[in-house]
Amino acid sequence: MIFSELYSAYYNAVAAVLRTACERPVRKADLRRIVNENAFGESVLNIEPALLEERWQLLRADGTTPVRHPPTMPLTTLQKRWLKAISMDPRVRLFPDPIPDFPEVEPLFRPEDICVYDRYTDGDPFEDEEYIANFRLILDAVRRRVPLSVETVNRHGAAVHRVVMPEYLEYSEKDDKFRLIGSGCSYGGTVNLGRILSVRQVKKLPRPKKPGPEKQPERRTVVLELINLRNALERVLMHFAHFDKEAERLGPGRYRVTVTYEAEDETELVIRVLSFGPMVRVVSPDTFTALIRSRLSRQRALGLRGPAQEPETEEE
Amino acid sequence: MPYSELIKNFDRIRDYMRDFYLFGFKSREEYTRRSARSYDDERRRLASWLGDYMRFRQTPDGKNVFLSINSRVQHHNPLYAAWKTKSFTDGDITLHFILFDILHSPDVVLSLNELTEKIDAYLTDFEDPKTFDESTVRKKLREYVNEGIIVTEKRGRTVCYRRAGDPPPLPADALDFFSEVAPCGVVGSFLLDKMGAHDEHFAFKHHYITAALDSGILCTLLTAMGEKRYITMETINRHQDRIAENHVVPLRIMVSVQSGRQYLMAWTPRFSRVASFRTDNILSARIDEPCGAFDSLRRGLDEMMPHMWGVSLSAKTVKQLEHVSFTVRYWDDEQHIHARLEREKRCGTVEKLDGNTSRFTADVADVMEMLPWIRTFICRITAFECSNRSVEERFLADLQQMYTLYGLEGGEDA
Repeated sequence: MIFSELYSAYYNAVAAVLRTACERPVRKADLRRIVNENAFGESVLNIEPALLEERWQLLRADGTTPVRHPPTMPLTTLQKRWLKAISMDPRVRLFPDPIPDFPEVEPLFRPEDICVYDRYTDGDPFEDEEYIANFRLILDAVRRRVPLSVETVNRHGAAVHRVVMPEYLEYSEKDDKFRLIGSGCSYGGTVNLGRILSVRQVKKLPRPKKPGPEKQPERRTVVLELINLRNALERVLMHFAHFDKEAERLGPGRYRVTVTYEAEDETELVIRVLSFGPMVRVVSPDTFTALIRSRLSRQRALGLRGPAQEPETEEE
Repeated sequence: MPYSELIKNFDRIRDYMRDFYLFGFKSREEYTRRSARSYDDERRRLASWLGDYMRFRQTPDGKNVFLSINSRVQHHNPLYAAWKTKSFTDGDITLHFILFDILHSPDVVLSLNELTEKIDAYLTDFEDPKTFDESTVRKKLREYVNEGIIVTEKRGRTVCYRRAGDPPPLPADALDFFSEVAPCGVVGSFLLDKMGAHDEHFAFKHHYITAALDSGILCTLLTAMGEKRYITMETINRHQDRIAENHVVPLRIMVSVQSGRQYLMAWTPRFSRVASFRTDNILSARIDEPCGAFDSLRRGLDEMMPHMWGVSLSAKTVKQLEHVSFTVRYWDDEQHIHARLEREKRCGTVEKLDGNTSRFTADVADVMEMLPWIRTFICRITAFECSNRSVEERFLADLQQMYTLYGLEGGEDA
């Protein structure tokens, strides 16, 4: 059963309290800190009195516990079945430490039970030995904060060399690709793992020619208005759900959606807005409207047109 | 019932979370399906679980609550928190920690009677010690045997209990990754909770997190598939606010990484066809009898898959497929457009007609599903044809409406 107290934040918080109590008496301040670290905003209001008033008889009045061993719990069957399922995923080989085998259980799912039907087909080669070796070397460098010397091929086919401090790996489920997000490189610290020609760990970063603050991604906002026809409202809100967004109702069947995105994704956002057709209209900023308008204008010039018609009626 | 941060049933909070996260423009008065007090309680719970992501907006209609989460800057799905809120009794939690302390190693094997005596000894220091009778302890042990964390063995004729073997160390990086990208990733999140704090090395782009709310349903569907069984499920039609019961054979889960939707493909005996059901519209699912025809039903779905753009199976057979074709033009320095067609073509075919022109063709079960994708090539489409006339008309009419919407008809550009 997936919704079980065995996995609850309260059980985890109490386990953490008892781990401390196995070593030394737990004071009120310890209790509050541990609960805040392991549970939710209001949890301390429940967990603290439940333990101190001895409704949960696990902590004595002096802060000691009758529990003698730091609490641990074996894996549940559900956890083993899930681990077994992910051990069948080709991407699992990217990780140097293996997933343990659990011969006594069936996997929660098999590859043939799930189909991702709209993933791009030029994803990274997760089963390629060289790719796996590069991935592991990069992950190790991320863990240990070791600079990397990387040679990649750019979109024009030319080799590009740079030295970066690896920060983290970013995975896109749509692209099915990993990118290394790095810092300390004046002309961009993002490296597509699939474009790497060679990579090695180095001792130190070269001194930047122009030292300055790290460039933060530029964030932009686009405001859309939509009419709720053909289920457009739900489709738009789900589609842009992974962004910071805000929706408000303007009137019956009319809504405004504000989406915040990173500037490097602007072209992608333009075509995603176009995909909704006449259900969605960009209202600001003018620069974004101009991008949509320009594409439509070029399309119109290609001669593809429909019959003149009245706009569809708005509905709730 | 007084307010509690924890909940017994996930269904209600699932609804509210979906509304607050996806929509977020409804005022308190619009949540009419349940009482105003229920709304207040759920809002307070969400503020406690997900306080960092709660936002408020004052409107003439009242105060609107919504969740705003940029999943690209999160290492882990914040919505998983909801799955860690199951309520329990004072006895449950006391018994849990004492039982596992007594059974602290797989080498400790004890009978029910021995366990009950030892539990009493743990409680003597408390002012008003709880008592757990044998039937309560037996019930809890049975529950844990079902969960796989306690195992039984016989000592003569006596049933004895010991904890299941302790897990080998689990790889944190792999769990960090798969808890976000694998189905039922919340289970990975449960495992990570037990591991404690560690450095995070992964982030996720284009990361849809709403499916987390459907994890319970998905888990049931996957289990039924693994056992090749029928299920009975309740689905909701949100437009008509109508609930229906369906007896179906679950065959596959279809996941969209471009829209965040997840579908169940299931054989529906009532209509003798495979149909798709959005998992967020499945309210409940119960596993029923085995289905002897599971393998052949799944083979039938496999045969249609090469002709499905998405999840629609409007055409029941290959003979009823719809043909679609469109041509795009691009400049010399825009060869990535052809590459884009190649990587996004799914079941279609792409031909390069000359250095600046490519044509996409496909025979699919439902062309209507393709229109949003085809629109992403607006500014380059030189020809569009479809065997389904109404789809072709819809595409061209929409295009015309977009010209009007942006002032390209009758304006200075016309």
